[in-house]
Order: sequence, then C-alpha cells, then structure tokens
Amino acid sequence: MSGTIDRDLFRRIQDKVAIVGIGHLPFAKDIGRPISDTAVEAIQLALGDAGLQAEDVDGMCMFEMEHTHEVTIARRLGVQNLQWWDKTSYGGGASCATIMHAAAAIVTGLATTVVCHRARNRGAKTSRPWAQERELVIDDKALHVPWGLIRPVDVIGMWAHRHMHDYGTTREHLGNVAIAARKHAQRNPHAMMRGRRLDMETYLNARVIGYPLHLYDCCLETDGALACIVTSVERARDLKQKPALVHAIAQASGPNPVHLANYNTPAMQTTAVPCAQQLWARSELQPADMDCAQIYDAFTPLVIMGLEDYGFCKRGEGGPFTEGGRIELGGELPVLTSGGGLSEAYVHGFNLILEGVRQIRGTSTAQVPNCKATLVTGASGVATSAMVLRAA
Amino acid sequence: MSLHPDYPLPETDNPITKPFWDGCRQHKLMLQRERDTGVVHWPPKPAYWKGGKLEWFEATGHGEVYSYVVGYEPFLPAFRELLPHIMVLVQVDEGPRLVGYMVNCRPDEMGFGMKVRVVFKRLTDRVTLPVWEPDR
Repeated sequence: MSGTIDRDLFRRIQDKVAIVGIGHLPFAKDIGRPISDTAVEAIQLALGDAGLQAEDVDGMCMFEMEHTHEVTIARRLGVQNLQWWDKTSYGGGASCATIMHAAAAIVTGLATTVVCHRARNRGAKTSRPWAQERELVIDDKALHVPWGLIRPVDVIGMWAHRHMHDYGTTREHLGNVAIAARKHAQRNPHAMMRGRRLDMETYLNARVIGYPLHLYDCCLETDGALACIVTSVERARDLKQKPALVHAIAQASGPNPVHLANYNTPAMQTTAVPCAQQLWARSELQPADMDCAQIYDAFTPLVIMGLEDYGFCKRGEGGPFTEGGRIELGGELPVLTSGGGLSEAYVHGFNLILEGVRQIRGTSTAQVPNCKATLVTGASGVATSAMVLRAA
Repeated sequence: MSLHPDYPLPETDNPITKPFWDGCRQHKLMLQRERDTGVVHWPPKPAYWKGGKLEWFEATGHGEVYSYVVGYEPFLPAFRELLPHIMVLVQVDEGPRLVGYMVNCRPDEMGFGMKVRVVFKRLTDRVTLPVWEPDR
C-alpha cells in the first residue's frame, strides 16, 4: 500500500519528532466558557509546560466537529503568524491524526512548532449529537438514522453484541475494562470519576443504556480542553521536558469508513484493522514491546476489539485477555492508565495522547515502571488514527 | 399515530439511493448489484461507480438477524412509541446487512440467526421504511 516516498516520510518522522508540551484545563460537566476560549487556555498551559511562547508557534492542527477557527485561537493566543494549519474530521478518529499531520509538517519544513489541540463542550444533554437530528438526514446516515440507530452506544452495541455472540465475550469481560479504567482514575486527581469506585457487582447491576451495553460500558460526557506541542527532536533538546518521541503513526479509513459499511465488512471489521497494519508496518516496535496502551474507549467493547485489532491478542480473544488483572496497573498490559474516556474525561480521546506522553515522561499517576513505549489509538468506528510513543 | 415533528426523515431524492426509497413506497425492497458479477453492494454505489455497470433489483425481503440492540428509554421523543425499540442488523438473503428495527416482536423473542421478513411502514407521503418482523 505504501510507496517509497510514503515510507521515506515515515522514516523521517520516526523518533525525529516529539511531543514536548502538554496541558489541559480541569475537566467539568459544565466548563462555563466557549471552546474558542478554553482551547486558548489549554494551549497556554501546554506552551508553558514545554517552555515555549505563543510567538514560537507557527502551525496548528485541530479536530473538526464544532465550529472553531484556527485564526481565532491563534489571535487570542498571540501567535504572530501561522505558516501552516490543518483540520481533521471524524471526531474521535482524528486524535492521533493531528499528531501525524503535525509531524509530517515538521519534517517537511512546513512548520517548526505545531499546536495540536481539542476543546469540546459535551457535558450538556442538549450538546449531544443525537439531540440535534432535526434536518433531513442525508448520505450514509439516511440508511440508519431513520430507524433510530443514532446514538453511538447503539451503533457500537451492534458490534459488541455480535462479538459476544461469535466469541463468547461476556459482560464480565466488558466490566474488566470499566473497572480497570475506574481503578486507574482513583489515582488521577483530574479524573471525573475519582472517588467513585466501581466493583463488578455494581457494574453488572447498572441500568441498561442500549442492550447489551449498560451504564458503565459508556464513556463520560465531559467539557474539556487539551493541547500538546509538537516539534523536532533536535529542537526538543533545548526545551524543559523529556520528549515523547513519535515512533510510528498512521491513519486509516478502510474501504468503508462509515458505520453502515463497516457493518458490511465480512466480520464487521472496524477501521482499526487497516490502521494497525499500517502502524506496525512502520514501527520497529511491535505490540509485545508496548509497556501500556491507551486504547480509545468511548465504550468498553471498543477496548476489547482494540486489543484484538492492534495485535495484542487474536480476534475473539480480547475478552479473556482482560482477565486476571492483565489490563490493570501491575498487569501485563495496563490500559487507560489515566482512567480514559470511561473514567477520566471523554474528550474524543485527546486525553489518551496526554496520558501517553506522561507515561513516557514517567509522570503518570498510574505510572508503569520504566515505561519505554506506549500505544495510543483513536476511535475505531470511524476513519481512525493511532501512534506509538517511545522514550528517547 | 401521527409522526413526531422531530422524526429524522431521510433524504429520498439523492440519486444514489433514490431507487431504494422509490421501491419502499411501492413496498419493494430494492438492492443494487453489479450487472456482470452479481455482487450486491450495500450501502449502494453511485451510478458512475467503476463505469456504471450497476443495476437495481427487487430482493426477496427475507433475511436473518446478524446483530441487534434494544433501547428501553426514549432518548428521542420521535422514537418513543417504538419502545422497547429493537434495532436490528439484518443479513438479507442476497448478502448485505441492512439496519432496521423489529415490529411484532418482543426483545425476549430475539436471537442471532432468527429468520425475519420485511414489512413496510409508511411515515409520510415521501418516506416508507422497510422494517422487519419474525418470519415464523
């Protein structure tokens, strides 16, 4: 799939580009300000963390789902001149894509210091995408929304239920994911669910949201603003923090990057499958080399399928993989060490990037001892992205 | 029962899917296939796809449950009357999997591989939805 030029570019990115600053505002149910303001504050924190100024920024990369503009944010921040900017669509699929685009811009000389950020106000019930289905439904959505298949929990539930049927994945397996994330969140002062422990009995007895998925299978609804600063490793040497090197990074849509069409791949394959193929093909490190993983967790079954799709186990073995504390701190592959979207904050997976950086720095509140490499992934139900971060 | 004003109605005059929606109004489940190979495509391709060797045909309207989810709470008022709302992924006999919902069926009657058949539910003059019932 990848030609020579493509491989060259990824070789030039490999371990040569780094995330050098991270920042986020306290997560909240109602942050009380528009995202064009909170984004600026998060970026200021990330710049401060890196030891950089607004004047150093010449590139910006963000998600597109709400209406915010780079130039508005850059002006409020005090950026003198953006030389390059970029927006990526598809919600949570875009998290690592922002880093990939920034890295490509940096190694090709389009920009030197790029802000990647995500700010989103999602806490209010009226802000949910399915509360806004008013207009005539068009394109691919017209083939599922009119039947009421609208909420992500139902869209993912179709996958999850079939997975349970085909492979014997149990609610307890899903519960292992929710409980691991919740345990890690207890150590994280920023986690929305800190102080609210979860045991299997409570998990199993929770109310159904969209059968077979229940309350604790679902991520939180959070207002948040997060940012990170990407630059060359050469430049990173002069900065404050230990850099998190971008080792390998990939985006993939697969042939059918909408829910309906993914439903029509032979085994209801998600977009994570082609993304993982690209990622590991570009990586000297392989799944067994990961010390922990931040796998996109809008819903617990996405983590189980993610463990399979990213090669930590075979298809169908993701459920049993979660047993015996394997995915908790101290286990073979701790996942969602900040609490993730399930228990820290749901901000389209951008918090998973920040947590990946903290693990490489050695500053996570659920630190994996001597963490050398971690996987970070985007949402697998849509056109997606993923990356491997490593220590220098 | 009258249709809720916020019901998310589909666009039916998009050239890619128009034959499907036109068929529904006539109580025919129309699918698209490649004329040469018989390969059925869902969601449908545009007419210009790879030279346009596509045709629409009437499907049998029979299939089986590939997966399903059940909503018990009204998240949108438009779907309140359907509760418990059994959303289903039907693998039709012709191969593709179509999203729909079940009628004349309780959640405890559902199962993977269960045989279902299409029925048509008129929503407006413009929109008729294919939905599914147990093929007992």
